[in-house]
Amino acid sequence: MIAVGLLLLAPLTAGGLSLLIKSSRWLHVTNLISIGTFVGAEVVLARAVFSQGSVTAFADIVYIDALSSVILFIIGTVGLACSLYMRSYMDEQVARGVIASQRLSLFFFLFHMFLFAMVLATVANSLGVQWVAIEATTLATTFLIAFWRRRESLEAGWKYLILCSVGISLALFGVVLMYYSSLRVLGDVSSALNITQLQQVAAQLDPHILKLAFVFLFVGYGTKVGLVPMHSWLPDAYSEAPAPVAAMLAGVLETVAVYAILRCRGIADQALSPDFTGGLLALFGLISFALAAFFILLQHNYKRLFAYSSIEHMGLAMVGFGVGGPLGTFGGLFHLINHAFAKSLAFFAAGNIHRRFKTVEIDQVRGLIAVLPWSALALLISGLALMALPPFALFTSEMQIITALGSSGLPGEWTQPGTRIPVVILLFCSVVAFAGFLYRITSMVWGPAPKDIVHGEQWSTGHLPIILLGAVLLGFCVALPATLRQLFEMASTLLLSR
Amino acid sequence: MSWLTPHIATQIVDFSSAMLLLTCFAIVAQRRLSACVDLFALQSLFLAMTAALVAFLTGTRHIYIAAGLTVVVKVIVIPRVLKGVIERLNVTRELVMKINVPASLLICGALVMIAFFITQPIIPFGHLLTRDSLAIALAIVLIGFFTMIARQKAVTQLIAFLVMENGLFLGATAATYGMPLIVELGVFFDVLVAALIAGIYTNRLQDAFDSVDTTHLTELKE
Repeated sequence: MIAVGLLLLAPLTAGGLSLLIKSSRWLHVTNLISIGTFVGAEVVLARAVFSQGSVTAFADIVYIDALSSVILFIIGTVGLACSLYMRSYMDEQVARGVIASQRLSLFFFLFHMFLFAMVLATVANSLGVQWVAIEATTLATTFLIAFWRRRESLEAGWKYLILCSVGISLALFGVVLMYYSSLRVLGDVSSALNITQLQQVAAQLDPHILKLAFVFLFVGYGTKVGLVPMHSWLPDAYSEAPAPVAAMLAGVLETVAVYAILRCRGIADQALSPDFTGGLLALFGLISFALAAFFILLQHNYKRLFAYSSIEHMGLAMVGFGVGGPLGTFGGLFHLINHAFAKSLAFFAAGNIHRRFKTVEIDQVRGLIAVLPWSALALLISGLALMALPPFALFTSEMQIITALGSSGLPGEWTQPGTRIPVVILLFCSVVAFAGFLYRITSMVWGPAPKDIVHGEQWSTGHLPIILLGAVLLGFCVALPATLRQLFEMASTLLLSR
Repeated sequence: MSWLTPHIATQIVDFSSAMLLLTCFAIVAQRRLSACVDLFALQSLFLAMTAALVAFLTGTRHIYIAAGLTVVVKVIVIPRVLKGVIERLNVTRELVMKINVPASLLICGALVMIAFFITQPIIPFGHLLTRDSLAIALAIVLIGFFTMIARQKAVTQLIAFLVMENGLFLGATAATYGMPLIVELGVFFDVLVAALIAGIYTNRLQDAFDSVDTTHLTELKE
């Protein structure tokens, strides 16, 4: 109960305080204390989930089970890494005069509100509150994306605001329909949108309404995930946002949006045939994966390259969840986690490169290993992981998903049963993405460095998260800690039980 | 009230929902930005009326709160903010349209038919009072969506977004006699903040691009 309170209060209080504090040092201290409290509360809650299965608090407003714990784990780890990274990144921006020091307060305020909204979306029991929180993430991040206030960043921010708000409005219609169907079964006005209530009566809900509701919810939250064809805001936003914000968007926000889809699916599946929802997920996932793979080939901007790789990996995770089965579901979940870590590491490296080379063009970045050895290492580790090269864990999860797809095919209704075409598409496109990525990354890391660039990398706090995430990614190659594995397995069992 | 048979009650609610749809068409046909804002305020007033009617006819108290909030937020605050934004801009009319007015109106007519078609299978289950309102709500959402694509000025896109939100609110009121109060308050908060943020954005776009024509936003591409 206290832990749940801390989980929500930590970012909220820190956000409020950030507006009052003027000195950059104390802003960072507040930030680190808040994220530390958050991680602590999260560990306590994960233990409670282990022993009791789920935690409800505050008159059923908060509901935490293994699945939400996994998402909280991602928010905590990436949030901590970002906070450490911001220590050197934001201070340098202030020192260079890119932003006035007063605006740092605003940055931290928005950052904390963003964090708060994501936590609320993860722990909310009511689908309605979850919707409100996810829309709040859009509102908190739109100014973060446009924080540099250049023309391009304003454009990216506006596009993001409009596309995501519209998408999310469609999801609200889905929530209304869900409420409409549940009200006739439950009859209780205040709790008819609660996941705990819906799960019990889901089988009696009207399938026609649920079908319509799920389609709206999927399109709405899918916009936030960045599934093709609702993805066009994503590369712009990721390439214009400050590096720590891009890391949060790519690592955490997408994951939270996927989580929202999975929650709704858990309810819809009990009344519909799982083939309907699964087929929708897998089909959109496959399209996103295939299209993003080709866009990776075309990129000459490294931040956009990572953005398209996000679309690709989210698509793959969606295929995993859509195909289902123990292998697909676990693979999808594990893929989400690994992608979150690898992608935030990639954006940290990108932030360092951008600060030194002052360009986002891949062609103008050469000889990174001599100029910025640590960032080059980070770029290599995250890049190789994102290519799903063995022994990285992303390879394991990708193989699990492909195996699941190969053995059961795309879920019915949409394709002929037993067709092997989806697997062929998936394999071919992953080779395309692999080649494109490898080519771009290696050309940045090696080669003769431009003469006018300062060589050498000074040690700073910003290197801590790079080492932390790099170590986690390398560690996952060797072994998954027993407690984490157990948590992931509990979460995928939850997704499977219907 | 003996004269208020369920049949008449349904008619009244249907009538005021239909007025919402009508203002939607008026917004699509209107080129002057400030008139669009006025029409949006009018639509929100009809929405508040519908909500109050449903609250009165069903005795669901908390819809009164939502109706009151609609008047404050969508009839008074947001239109004022938008008027302020428009005053700062150098454009008052939507000059170039991707799709002209007659074609837009035809498409909107088709969207209404689609909305009725989609909701047909689920309407028979609805409460008698607000049966057709769900279809009308979906129609308004779709028209808002279409307007967003068809219009280029940032302000018009914002109004279209708010129209969508009105449609959603009508849907929630009609189909389920309102959402749980906590959700409704959250939605109001989100809409208000979204409108304010978009207003600030429009000003910044104006400063940076000398225009709020979103077709100028083309610096980011592959």
